Amino acid sequence: MSYLFPLEGCEPRLAEVVGGKAVGLGWLMREELRVPPGFAVGTHAYREFVTDTGLDRTIHDLLKDAGSVDEQAEVSRRIRSLFDEHEAGSALREELAQAYERLGVDRPVAVRSSAISEDAAAASFAGEHDTFLWVVGEEEVVRAVLACWASLFTPQALAYFGRVGLHPDESAMGVVVQAMVAAEAAGAMMTLDPVTGDRSQITIEGSYGLGEAVVAGEVNPDRYAVDKITLEIRSRTVSAKHVASRFAPTLGEVRLGEVPLAEQLLPCLSDDEIVALATLGKRVERSLRAAQDIEWAIDASREVHLLQTRPETVWSAKHSPAATGGHP
Amino acid sequence: MSTARSTSTGCFPSPFEVAIPAACEGWEDMYAYHAVFAGDRGEADVKRFWFQNGLHCPEPLHPFDSVWLEHAHPALNQANARLFVIPPSLGVEYRILNGYAYLSGNSITDGETIGRRAQLFAQRAGHYYANWDELYGRWVEKVEAATRELAEIEVPELPDIEDEAIVTEGRGIGSTYALLAAWDRLLNGFDRIWQYHFEFNSLGYAGYLSFYELCREVFPSISDQSVAKMVSGIDVLVLRPDEELRRLARRAVELGVAAPVRVAGDEESLWRSLAESAEGREWLADFDETKREWFWFSFGNGLYHNHHTWADDTSVPISRIGSYVGSLERGEDIERPREATAAERDRITDEYRMLFPDEMRQRFDESLALCRTVFPFLENHNFYIEHRYLGLFWNKVREFGALLARAGFLADSEDVFFLQHHEIREALGELRLAWSSGGAGAPRGPRFWPPIVERRKAIFEAMREWTPPPGLGQVPEEITEPTTIMLWGLTTERVRSWLVSSDEPGLVAGIGGSPGVVEGPARVVLSARELDQIQPGEVLVAPSTSPSWTPVFGTIAAAVLDTGGIMCHAAIVAREYQLPAIVGTGTATKVIKTGDRLRVDAGAGTVTILGQI
Repeated sequence: MSYLFPLEGCEPRLAEVVGGKAVGLGWLMREELRVPPGFAVGTHAYREFVTDTGLDRTIHDLLKDAGSVDEQAEVSRRIRSLFDEHEAGSALREELAQAYERLGVDRPVAVRSSAISEDAAAASFAGEHDTFLWVVGEEEVVRAVLACWASLFTPQALAYFGRVGLHPDESAMGVVVQAMVAAEAAGAMMTLDPVTGDRSQITIEGSYGLGEAVVAGEVNPDRYAVDKITLEIRSRTVSAKHVASRFAPTLGEVRLGEVPLAEQLLPCLSDDEIVALATLGKRVERSLRAAQDIEWAIDASREVHLLQTRPETVWSAKHSPAATGGHP
Repeated sequence: MSTARSTSTGCFPSPFEVAIPAACEGWEDMYAYHAVFAGDRGEADVKRFWFQNGLHCPEPLHPFDSVWLEHAHPALNQANARLFVIPPSLGVEYRILNGYAYLSGNSITDGETIGRRAQLFAQRAGHYYANWDELYGRWVEKVEAATRELAEIEVPELPDIEDEAIVTEGRGIGSTYALLAAWDRLLNGFDRIWQYHFEFNSLGYAGYLSFYELCREVFPSISDQSVAKMVSGIDVLVLRPDEELRRLARRAVELGVAAPVRVAGDEESLWRSLAESAEGREWLADFDETKREWFWFSFGNGLYHNHHTWADDTSVPISRIGSYVGSLERGEDIERPREATAAERDRITDEYRMLFPDEMRQRFDESLALCRTVFPFLENHNFYIEHRYLGLFWNKVREFGALLARAGFLADSEDVFFLQHHEIREALGELRLAWSSGGAGAPRGPRFWPPIVERRKAIFEAMREWTPPPGLGQVPEEITEPTTIMLWGLTTERVRSWLVSSDEPGLVAGIGGSPGVVEGPARVVLSARELDQIQPGEVLVAPSTSPSWTPVFGTIAAAVLDTGGIMCHAAIVAREYQLPAIVGTGTATKVIKTGDRLRVDAGAGTVTILGQI
């Protein structure tokens, strides 16, 4: 069995193999929405790796002593260094090299964790697991895949797993390798109002550059509320976006840089782009028949790319306020 | 909301602090004793919140015109408080200050009382909702009959010698009786039409509101205009006159009389150029019938005698027909996007319906159905009453004015509007006394009334120059009364914003009445006479609009109004024409100048002045 799956082939039946993120991207691709091309690394690659290297037993033993916050930090550090000390198997290396080459020679890619269980997916979304941006070259891609695996054991993930009663030892990690979008602006979109649960609204958050600065809370994003039915922009809250994550060619890595003062208070999206995004969100929601939580990016030619979609969980679990509110 | 507005602790002037404008001393004598603020009512008036009724009364009231307040408010309050027992509402108080009308709602806040009233309301309103179409059909018949009766009132000529038939038929009743009887019939009919006006009014709004509140419950951020859009696209009379003008334009092209119709400009030249040919006469016959039926449309809201109707000055509809003919000749489409509006309504309705929780969908369907049932009344009653009935009514009063003028009691028949209704009756009383004796009694009227009229005219002109404060008295904690919000666009935030001078120059805030974003040059129009200056693509900026303004909605890019909420005429018509409207700005006509470049954003409810000339 091959280790890799083209993203467009990541169907829901493969959820346990490639993880929720890859399935969401596969769905978007089959809906012919613009998603950066790429592939997913199945969980069997992870399992084979930890078995072949004997890491599974080591990790199992280490996790026994990960109760307190301090212990979690220490255990995490030790597990992750173990991943650094091992090489991926040659069959996996071969497949990764070929698949990467098909994306384009030395094309920058994002290597992103795609965890399996729903709780793990939530943790992943919340940035508990790692994502590696602007990875170039096959060797680097292989290292990034291993690093993604290792991020199953970040201190915050260990804490999170403890809280939801899930054992990371039994978990596995899928990985998505996807062409990088050199985002001029990026952010998230929910196809409801997260404050009221109003499903007739769409909420968009965005900032300059890659979405990482927003996820990491480095910058206060612009926030736009769009009426889902009429596609009117109901409110714009433009924040002072003083920094942006961008690829720094001289350094060869993604860095947080200053945004020129004159641009900080400009909206990161034009009205047309806000409406285009909301239209996309509406389409994704309709196709998936549930409120969605979507990551997006806009490149230098102002094309919109979708980087992730997953079902919104908070309000969807609750029912609408009215349904439970009791009415005369 | 992105605009942070501190909770203001300011307050509006007490009605007793507002100074009488220069040259307006004695203005109170022009109105009913109970219509003015008076200290002998104690603290009551000071403790309330009063807002200037710019929607119905943007200008000062002539003494006679204030008569409608005396008839409308008892009918409104009776319907709300005592007849249909609207649970939280006892109607609306009114006062006049320096000629301008102010309103203050009578709300019930006690839950127990509301609950008790709700039971009665459910029975009584339920009866109307269940039998709406039949009762509405009867209402139209009653109003048609009342309108015929009004048209049939004859103002007696007061002959030199009475008609012989009074003797031969043994009637025993002469012109002195007939004169006051005619006046009393006029006023009685007027009183009754206001009863009819409020027979369905509050029930209509209540039906609309129950749908509105259901939508808000499930979609807290749903815009007012989206709710309104779900009931739009239904044929209402307010759009009919404009449709008739377009029909006449098409007919002119069909009959081959396009050119003379296009250039005519007024009725006289229409007749001059068309009466020659058979086709022309056919068109004229059509025009005449249409005029009888559909030209009773006020240039204003119908509530002022001087607003007049299309029927009084046909040059406006004739010019409009002409410009429609011109459009047709250039191959342009003059139809309003009726099908597109209906399709958009269905799309929106369907999308909200699908987002409704399954278990509530039936309630949505029922509430929407009720809303669509009651909606036509809300617009149509305006045509039947404010426009047609009142249009005829003011003209009938003019006939009495002419009689008084012929007897020398007034210098001009129009002066009659400077007397209160009871003063007119008094004058008619003296007039018949003088006539009854053949002039032997030396009437005092010709010396008594003209100086009063002159004095009042001067006061009236001075009052026009005065700008009434938008609010008086106590700042309300919160405005929850739904009709106030819907009709006048008065939200808590809006009222508080009156207290703070706009912190963003070049920004006019209001309520989105019809969705869309558009940019264009401003055209400030203060009266219907200026409507022909509007160029295609301009943004209409006006105090308010009335049905007779409907044709310009085919030309303009957007509408911005000082007054009104989402159910005002401009908002309704803008939605039909699918162009953005901002209503209830309070200040647009004062801040914006013709030619200013505007950005109208109905989603945000704002007008931005991008550039000034």
